[in-house]
Parts: sequence; structure tokens; C-alpha cells
Amino acid sequence: MKSFRRIFGIVTMHRARLVVSQVAVFISALASIGFATLVAPMVNTGMVEGDAKAALGFGFWMLVLALIAGVSMAIAAAQAVFFSQGTAYMVRKRLYDKIQTYSFENYDLLPSSQLMVRLNADVLNVQNAMLYAILLGLYAPFMLVATFIMSAIRTPGLLWVLVVVILVVVVLLAIVIPPMARAYKRRQHRLDALNGSLTENLTGMAVVKAFVRERYEIEKFDAGSDSMRQESFPATWRVAFLSPLMTGVGQLAIILATGVGGVQVLSGSGMTIGEVTAFSTYMGLVILPLALIGILMPYVLRGDVSAERILEAYDAEPTIVDKDSVTVLDSTKVEGRIVFDDVSFAFRRKDGELDPPVLRHINLTIEPGQKVGFLGATGSGKSALVNLIPRFYEATEGQITIDGVDVVDLSQDNLREIVGVALQEALLFLGDLRFNLKFGDVEAEDDVMIDAAKASDSFGFVSNLPEKWEAPVARRGYNFSGGQRQRLSITRALTARPRVIILDDSTSALDASTEGRVQEAIPQFMDAGTVIYVAQRISAVIDLDHIYLLKDGEIIAEGNHEHLLATSPLYQEIYESQLGSAATEGLDLEVMS
Amino acid sequence: MTSSVDSSAADQSLEARGGRSEHGRSTVVRLLGYMMGGEQRPQAILAIIARIVAIIALTTIPWITGRALDVIGSPSGTNDRLAGWIIRGTIAGVTYLVFSFVSDWMFSRMATKALYKLQTRVFSNIQRLSMGFFYKNPVGELTSRVTNDSEVVALFYEQGVGPLIRASLQVLIILIVMLLINVPLTVVALIVVPFMLGSMYVVNRIASPAFAKLQESVGTTSGFQGETIEGHRVIISKNRREWAGQQHEQLAADVYEVGSRAFLASLMQFPLTQTLILFQSVFVLTVGTIMVINEQTTLGVVMAFTGFASLMASPLGQMSNLVSNALNAFAGGKRVFAIIDEEPTVEDAPDAVEYEFKGGRIECIDVDFSYAPGSKVLRGNTFVVEAGDSVGICGPTGAGKSTLINILTRYYDIDGGTILIDGQDLATLTQRSLRQQIGVVLQEAFLFTDTVMNNLKYARAGATDEDAIAAAKKANAHDFIMELPDGYDTVLAERGANLSQGQRQMITIARAMVAEPKIMILDEATSNVDTRTEKLIQDGMRKLMDDKTSFSIAHRLATIRDSDDIMVLNGGEIVEYAPHTELMEARGFYYALYMSQFKGKAPGGAEATDVDFVST
Repeated sequence: MKSFRRIFGIVTMHRARLVVSQVAVFISALASIGFATLVAPMVNTGMVEGDAKAALGFGFWMLVLALIAGVSMAIAAAQAVFFSQGTAYMVRKRLYDKIQTYSFENYDLLPSSQLMVRLNADVLNVQNAMLYAILLGLYAPFMLVATFIMSAIRTPGLLWVLVVVILVVVVLLAIVIPPMARAYKRRQHRLDALNGSLTENLTGMAVVKAFVRERYEIEKFDAGSDSMRQESFPATWRVAFLSPLMTGVGQLAIILATGVGGVQVLSGSGMTIGEVTAFSTYMGLVILPLALIGILMPYVLRGDVSAERILEAYDAEPTIVDKDSVTVLDSTKVEGRIVFDDVSFAFRRKDGELDPPVLRHINLTIEPGQKVGFLGATGSGKSALVNLIPRFYEATEGQITIDGVDVVDLSQDNLREIVGVALQEALLFLGDLRFNLKFGDVEAEDDVMIDAAKASDSFGFVSNLPEKWEAPVARRGYNFSGGQRQRLSITRALTARPRVIILDDSTSALDASTEGRVQEAIPQFMDAGTVIYVAQRISAVIDLDHIYLLKDGEIIAEGNHEHLLATSPLYQEIYESQLGSAATEGLDLEVMS
Repeated sequence: MTSSVDSSAADQSLEARGGRSEHGRSTVVRLLGYMMGGEQRPQAILAIIARIVAIIALTTIPWITGRALDVIGSPSGTNDRLAGWIIRGTIAGVTYLVFSFVSDWMFSRMATKALYKLQTRVFSNIQRLSMGFFYKNPVGELTSRVTNDSEVVALFYEQGVGPLIRASLQVLIILIVMLLINVPLTVVALIVVPFMLGSMYVVNRIASPAFAKLQESVGTTSGFQGETIEGHRVIISKNRREWAGQQHEQLAADVYEVGSRAFLASLMQFPLTQTLILFQSVFVLTVGTIMVINEQTTLGVVMAFTGFASLMASPLGQMSNLVSNALNAFAGGKRVFAIIDEEPTVEDAPDAVEYEFKGGRIECIDVDFSYAPGSKVLRGNTFVVEAGDSVGICGPTGAGKSTLINILTRYYDIDGGTILIDGQDLATLTQRSLRQQIGVVLQEAFLFTDTVMNNLKYARAGATDEDAIAAAKKANAHDFIMELPDGYDTVLAERGANLSQGQRQMITIARAMVAEPKIMILDEATSNVDTRTEKLIQDGMRKLMDDKTSFSIAHRLATIRDSDDIMVLNGGEIVEYAPHTELMEARGFYYALYMSQFKGKAPGGAEATDVDFVST
């Protein structure tokens, strides 16, 4: 329950509501007990002694107490709702704000899917646990103690019956509920597995159909569904039987009380028939909250587990933070000279240790206005290298400067105004095109956006849309094709008018001719700014000023196309492999370069 | 000649078809049919009988207790007479528990069985559907719909049907017993019932739209969270974290507001019902007392009535929850049945025959195709591929390259024209026999979460370990597979994530080899692999195509250069169809496409001529 308590600490709103709810719960419990207590005089003076006026009086007071119990329970419920919803709101907000401070590295360690579970399912669990804890946490124990005391005072001869009934209820709940909770957990696992296999089947449907394996898939799913059935059955019957079980036990308890109490009344021990019925009412008051605690306890426990997971994400600290005093560069006046001075980089593991370096001793200088390309296979370190420029990750060793200023000395906001990035996974947000394209600079003029769109070859297809710049964009931009999204992502990066633009494999979905048009137009738009391409296809970098060829985290060759073709065996190999041996046929290497 | 696509049906989204039920039966009847119809019916009848016995036993208890109290209160009461009633009461209590258990046990069995039947029906129908369905319904959406909707139905089966029957029977039987014993007291006890039902109605009227709104609001919020968290790189690189935080705060505040209202309304049911139950017992006690004083009834009967009243009140209190559970299930069930009732758009002709392989000559005559009516993706294409020839397919994005493959494998039916394969009309063949002969290697190397061995053997029912290993060797995959922790028994993580892209590609090639297809279709991956791996992949692909009729879609023209013929597509039409050298000499579309890769750095130095690319 430690995590659960810390959540209470985070939630600073609605403190008063918590107090009010507990006072209301207390009043409601007292009124219920008062109500039960009036049953005895009602029966004794009314039915047994025949005093109708007194009976009407008791009836009136019972109605009043019932009303008090109901109203205060309603007040408690309302406060509990506001408090639990408030908790969910606060946790959601604080956690999301915390996530917004995360660096790339934090996301590597806590993937999006996990963060989503924490923001949703876990918050919901905490919210429910909070609600139940407020309504029953004090109510049930108080009811137990109060009834016990009342019974001890009024019907001491029946006290043992109460103890026996409470014990029976507790034992039955202890027998039924833990296996039920466990079975539910197993059912949930099977359900997750089943949903997983459905997703996999749907994702790989083309493969299923290509190999005509539908029947096999059906058999596999049948088995999964059947094993879920096996697991849900023990949970299902226990849940179903719980309510009849409690009803049955309650009725048997009344019979027992009537029997034991009846013998005492008949023996003339001074016990009255009214007290026997009042005692039955007391028992009812104990059994219900006990049963509810048994049923709801697993939810509260689950809430604690969820709270722990929420706090794990909440306690993560961003790995990249601004220095206390930062150097400020005027983003419009930056020339864009980028220097890597003996830079090495390694990813950090969850335990804080460094993985083997993915970049080793990189030294390079990109001159203002230059068009450069980084070429290499997966794992060569090309993306890692350019990610260091806008400080998405921090270099493990060495220094990176822009116009002579160490990127570490700039504020992240300032740095990222200077350096624009278009990523390969071109994700757009829900809204319209204008909103998305001006995402990097809300105040950008439409003219800039349109010029940027022309430079990235998206102007054409946008103009063909009926709503043009107001065209709706679905979540993640799924209503646009991969190639369109990539071009829009470049437009978005350009619209913010960065002085350095990094295109991280962001033309991979375009065919060579479209890619060529985009590459030709961007430098004009950039107006002497620096352009950096990251690519796997040689045709994407072939006409750039300078190409860096990366392999295993090192620059193994650099120069322009002709130079590399003449001097680098690896470059030649890639060239042949991608463009065909015919490309080099008849090529006189000595004449070139 | 062609089996035309029922385009209107094909175009209707699942949502639009949701309301229609194939068999003309209502969703309610169909849903209950899975649980209590057919072979389950005898069990259902037994379960209901057991329930009735249990409730009758339960109903006797307050009456027995009342009689016992009469014994206690009467001057002639003895311990023996009291004991008689106590024993009867105990027997009734135990009977109630035993029969309740039997009934709940049986209902639970039926419920889990019903869910199993429903899940497997949905899944097996999904397997029947044509590829078009899966392009129209994205995986994420379809999965979440199937899983969410069937969970709502599961809740109804497992915790709705049984309790609903129990609650209704309990109210009914107690009502009858009360009327049999004392009519005036019954009326008094029932006074609160209209208020109870009324309050339920009001609460439900407020709460259910509020919950619907909450659902929507939570959906929007988690949609925003998902988008911005997955898109964190964009948010960070564009300095928009503050914006994200502010947007999220508004959404979360909305959830708080809507959620508070919804929960507040629904939670009010509890104190309302509880108060009314207490009122009920006060009314019965007070009026009963007066009646006892007037000697119209006995103390025992009055106490029995307080017992009846409370046994009747609790199922009434549950009723509103149970009803809204049922209504949710009907809505969910409707959508589930929409999937069960969905028909494949590509179906075998009634008199379809098995495809008989005779070398693999393929002839397309005037083939038209469109995904949506009115916008043709392929138009008027006529070509012949001789048995054993290899054809490379190229063209700009959206030219129809993948579409051509979709119709050759008959994932879609064509709109017009004829496709002949070894002289047999594609539309007259069974899909099964056709696809068993056509091997496909797709661009995205999809592997199942299973062992390498099982992934390889997936290609053909009855394939042996030896077949798989032989194929892996041929596809150059054997060596790296042996280096995996458990060799061929290594379980691949989700979608093959613990292998490199190139390795996954080699496994998919080996897998296609296991199938021993007679005709090959390859969608070349835009592979991001080093040149050594690339060569191994190319080598594997060559072996796979061997002497077979083959089509390969190329994203890099170098890979199809050596094909017997190259088919150049532009805007859904075949613009050129000849070997590489001829096309280069022709200096047409292909030549332009080829030269554009070099951006003026081609060895020959020649610039591309201007051609009209149809790019989307």
C-alpha cells in the first residue's frame, strides 16, 4: 500500500472532500445502527404490548433515521466520486506533464505502449481503488465494531452467534475470492494472448492467404479460445455464486439467531422477541459490508500495483536538461557550421550501464550551406550521428558545435529552432493540414508554408484536395499515404525555417524521380542553410557536395560521388549492388575523379 | 466470363452493415441462442428448473422464520415446536444454497461455452474474408472492435444472463407468495417499488448518456496521448511540449468533469435504493403492527413480510445494472454479428475446378481493375508471359505494381477482361488450388511469433523438418539460424523482432521454398541491409525463381535488369514490355526511370529525357 499512499501525496486537491466523505460515512453508519436498534421497541411495545401510538412514533423515527442514513451515504458517495475522479485527473495530468519532459532515451527505456497503459488502465485502477477505499475503508470496520458493541450491550446472549456468523462469512470469502481473483488474472492472460494472436493473424493475413493456411489458423485460435474458456469457468461460477452464497448464509444466520434467541425467550431469561428480530437486523448490517470488502479487496490491491507502475514512470528523470545559464544564438543569423570533435556515443541500458558504442571518434566539419549525406546500412550509426546535432541524445565523449557554440550550452528550444528535422516515421497529428505544417512555427506566414510545400513536392497533391490547407488530418496522419506523409513531414520541418535541416531517411517512400525533385528544391528554399541527408539508397546522396560513408560507427570514407567511387571499395560495392553492375561497366576509374 | 465483384456490398463499410442480421433474427435472440440454444437447451432448462427450486426454498425461509417467531411469542410455545421450524428453515436454506450452486455452475458453463462459440465463429469467418476487407478495416481498428465488443458480450454471458434470470424469478415468485399470504401487507410492501423503478429510470436516463460521453471523452484523450507519445520525436524536435501539456490538461479536465457527472449519477442509485428498502421495512413493520394490534394478522406474518420485502428489494436493486449490461451487450453483439455475417467478396464459383499446372503460361486480356468503383487502378492491360519466363515489374509509386499481384493471386476479382493461367480462366478455379501453386514473397517480411522451424513449415501443411532445413540451406538462411540461441527451435519475438531485417527476409524466402510453388511472385523489399546480406538475399531469390514463371516487383531497377522481360507500369497501364537492353535502347519511359536514379551521375553521362510520371 506504499505506492497507493504516495499517490495520496501527489493528489493535493479535494482534501476537504476526503474529510467530509468520512464524516458522512460515519453518520450513515450510526443512523443505520440506530435504525436497527429501533426494531426491538417497535416489535415489543407495538406488536407484543399493543401500543399503536408508540408504534407509529417508532415508525416515524425509523423513517427519519433511514433518511439520514441515505442522505449521508449519498453525500459520501458524491465526495468519493469527486475525490476519485480528481485523483485520476491529477495523476493523468502530472504524469503526462512528466512524460513531456522526457528525452529520447527515456522513451527508449519506457516504450509508448507501456506509457499508454500507465496513463489509462493504471489510472483507472487507481481511481476505482480510491473510490472503494473511501466508501468502505472505514465504513465496514466501523460497522463491525459498532454492531458488536450494540449486540454485546443489548443481546449479550446472542453475541456468540454474531461471532460465528462473521467467522463463517470471512472464511467463505477467503475460500471463494482468492481463487476467483487468480482465475481472473489467468483469464486475462489468456484473453491478452488471444487478442495478440488475433492481431498477429490480421497483420499477417496476406501470408495466411498466400500459403492457404486459414484452417490451421482457425485450429490455433480454437485452442486459444478453448484455453481461455477453461480459465474463465472457475472465475465465472465463483462470481455468479457469490451473491446467492451471501444471501443463503444471511438467511441461515437469521434462522440460527431465531432458534437460539427463541430458546432464550421461551426459557424466560428476559430476552424479548423484539430483541431477537433487532439482532437479525444487526447481522444484516454486518454481512453486506463484509461481503463488499471481500469482493472489492482485489480491486484495491490491483490499484496499489497500478500506483507503483505509475510512480515508476513519474519518477523517471529526463536525461537531457538545459544548463542553468545558457548561451543564446539568434536563430535567424546562424550560419550553420557544424563541427564534430572526436565524438563517441553509446546507448544507455535500463540499468544505467552503457552499451557498446555505436559511434567512435567521429571528426567532421560541415560548412554553412553545404549539402552533405550520411550513407550506411542499418546499424552503421548514421541516424545516431545526426541525432546528436539537435541534442536528441547526448554525446558520450567529445564535443559538437554549431557556429562554434557547444550544443550543450544552448537551450534545447533555441537549438531546435536552429536545427530542423524531418524523420522517416512521418507522423502527423489530428487536426488540419495548416495546423500540422505550422506545427514547428505557429506564427509562420502562409507564404512560407506554401513555398515549403512547393520545395517538398507536397504542393501539388495538397492543391488537388477539395479542402486544400484545411484538409482534415486523421490521428497519426493515416488518411495520407506513406509518401505523402513523408513529404508533408518535410514541409513541416521547412516551414519553421531552420538554418540546418536534417532529413533522416525521410524520402525513403518516394520514387527516385520525386526524390530528385525534392532534393533539388530544398537547398533553394534553405537559402544558404546547411542540408544534411541520411540515407540507405545511394541514389539519394549521389549528387551531394560531400558524402560520409559509415560502417560500424565509424566514417570509413568521405568525399563526393566521383571521389568515393574511385577510392572506396565499400562504396563501389554498394553502388553496384544498388544500381547494378552495368552501372560501372565501361567505367574508366582512372579517367574519373 | 469474370465473376464480377459485388461492388456495392464490397464498398459498404462494416458499420453500415451492422444493423442487418443475416438470418433475420434479432441480435437478442441470436446472442441467447449461442448460450441456450441447440445442444445447450436441455442444460439451460435444467439450470432454470434448479433456479426455480432454489428460489422457492429461499422464499419459504422468511415464512418459516415468521412461524418460529409466532411460536416464540405465543404462551403455548415450546422448544420442540420451535426446533421443528428451525430444522425446516435450515433445510430450506441448505436447499437454496445447493440448487443455487447447481444452477450457477450450469449457467457459467453455458456462458463460457457461448463465448467460445462466438469467438471462434468470428475468427473463422474472418479467415474466409477476402483481402479487400482487411485493407478497408485497418488491423488496429478491427482488433479493438472485435476484442472490445466480445468482452462486452462476455460480461453479459458470464455475469448478465444468469443473474437477470435469477433476479426476475426471485421478484416474481416472492410476489406470488406474498399475495397468497396477505394481500393488504403485499400492497404496503409494494408501495416503494414504483419509486424504486422510477429512480432507476431517472438515474439511468442521466447516467447512460453521461457514460457514453465519458467513453467518447476518454477515447479522445487516449487518442491524443497515443499520438503525442508515439510522436514524441516530432513534439520534441518541434519544441511543442508545452502545447502538448496544455492540450492534454484540457482533455483530462473534460474527462474529470464528464466522469464525475456519470459516476455521480450512477452511484446515487445505491443510497436511493438502500433508503427505499429501509422505508419499505418501516412501512411493513408499522402497518403490520397496527394489523397485529387489530388482530388481523400475526407477528410472524409481519416479520415474514419484512423478510420477503428485503429478498425482493435486492434483485430489484440489481436490475438497472443488469439491464444496462444487457443493452451494452446487444449493441456489441450487433457489431460482432456484422463480422460473422460479412461475406467474402471473392468467392469460388459454384462449379469451380482445381487448377491444373501445365508449365505456368499466363495471359491477361484487356484486364481492368478498381478498388473503389469509378477510379480504375489497372486499365485495359493485355500481355502474355510464357511458361518459365521471369518478368520484372517497375514503375513509379502508385502505378499499380502491387495491384497486379493482388489480382494474379486472386486476392481481388477483376472488373473486366480475362486472366488465363495455363489456358484456364482464373475466375473458374478454386482459390485454394491456385494459391497452393503460386508462391509469394512479400515486401514486409512477416513472421509469426513461433519457432523458426514452425515458421518455415507454415508454408505447407505436412512439411517435414527436413524440408524446412533443406529450404533454409538453399535460401542461405541455415548458417545464421544455427547461430541463434536455440537454432531452429528459437522462438521469434513479436513479428520477428529479434532478427535483422535481412535475416527475416531470408527466412521468408526459405519459407516460400518449403511451399514448393510452381509460379513465383516476389515483392522486393526496400531493404536496408549491408551489401553482403543483400547478395545472399538476391542469390536466394534467384534460386527460388529458378525455371519457374516469376514476377518480381522492383523498387531498385538493378534487381530486375536480368529478367527475361521488364514490364513498365505507369498510371495503371503497361507502357513498355521488353527486355532491359531493348528498353534502354528505346530511350523511353524505362530509360528515364533508370537514369533518374543517377541524378545526372550516370556512367554514360546521358540525362534523362522528360517523361510524364504519374505519381501520387
